Amino acid sequence: MKTLQSLSLATLLLAGGAWAGDHRYALSPTYAAECGSCHVAYPPALLDAAGWKVTLQQLERHFGSDASLEPQAQREIASLLQAQASTRSAHEGKGAAPRLTTTAWFQRKHRPEELRGYPLPKVPAGARATPMAQCQQCHRRAEQGDFGEGSLQPADGRR
Amino acid sequence: MYFLRPLAMGVALALLTGSTLAASPTSPAELQAAWLAEARQSNPALRAFSAERGRSFFSTTHGSDWSCASCHTSNPGQGGAHAVTRKLIEPLAPAANPRRFSDAAKVEKWFGRNCKDVLGRACTPEEKGDLLAYLLTVKP
Repeated sequence: MKTLQSLSLATLLLAGGAWAGDHRYALSPTYAAECGSCHVAYPPALLDAAGWKVTLQQLERHFGSDASLEPQAQREIASLLQAQASTRSAHEGKGAAPRLTTTAWFQRKHRPEELRGYPLPKVPAGARATPMAQCQQCHRRAEQGDFGEGSLQPADGRR
Repeated sequence: MYFLRPLAMGVALALLTGSTLAASPTSPAELQAAWLAEARQSNPALRAFSAERGRSFFSTTHGSDWSCASCHTSNPGQGGAHAVTRKLIEPLAPAANPRRFSDAAKVEKWFGRNCKDVLGRACTPEEKGDLLAYLLTVKP
């Protein structure tokens, strides 16, 4: 068991939870359950450690919703996020409530010329829905941590 | 191979972090009994919960933008979607989704979060009991 755990730890540290280049991310069951019930369980590797730390410190006011966690889940998820967070400056969280969608990397990947053929989901006037939070609309396997181009599909179903 | 690696990673993480939160099995009837006992401490005259009060509680706002129905829709026998992220939400009525109200810790966690979003405070045992009484009348 001990050997297995050290081996797993090595894998974890090496991979950091992401497979560089293919945009598929492994999600722990606790993380997927706790952070994937109101929105897609966003890949931990897409925000830096400081950004995640701030996010976890204010879960009671989490982008307009109370998302507070039980102490045990909070500890588990905090250490997981610190272990898997990005070390790239392109993933640096900005502002008092950092969003994955405002990092330099995310903005570059989703600039208008990249989105051609993949229009953002329409939001009815007055609705609070935020199109960029709806990964699953175009990344059809986002719930499984798969953001690979093979599973991309326009939000309205057109190919 | 790409699909196996995330799986192996999930297993590795489960080993590292230990199990996820322990389940605390319960049933709607057990929850109702506990809430009724709790509610009677401040209101000894309370005889039973009211599905009608629960229905009204579910569908109206309580001083903020959202009601329960904003995400769970006006028919909790069917699924809904999160008001901001459009993430799908499974049906809330136990008849439509037997996993609902079957884990005490989960029930309290979600009441804790959602009551603060909708009412700006915790729900009382009476409100929880009325709400569940209503949900138990909803058919899929």
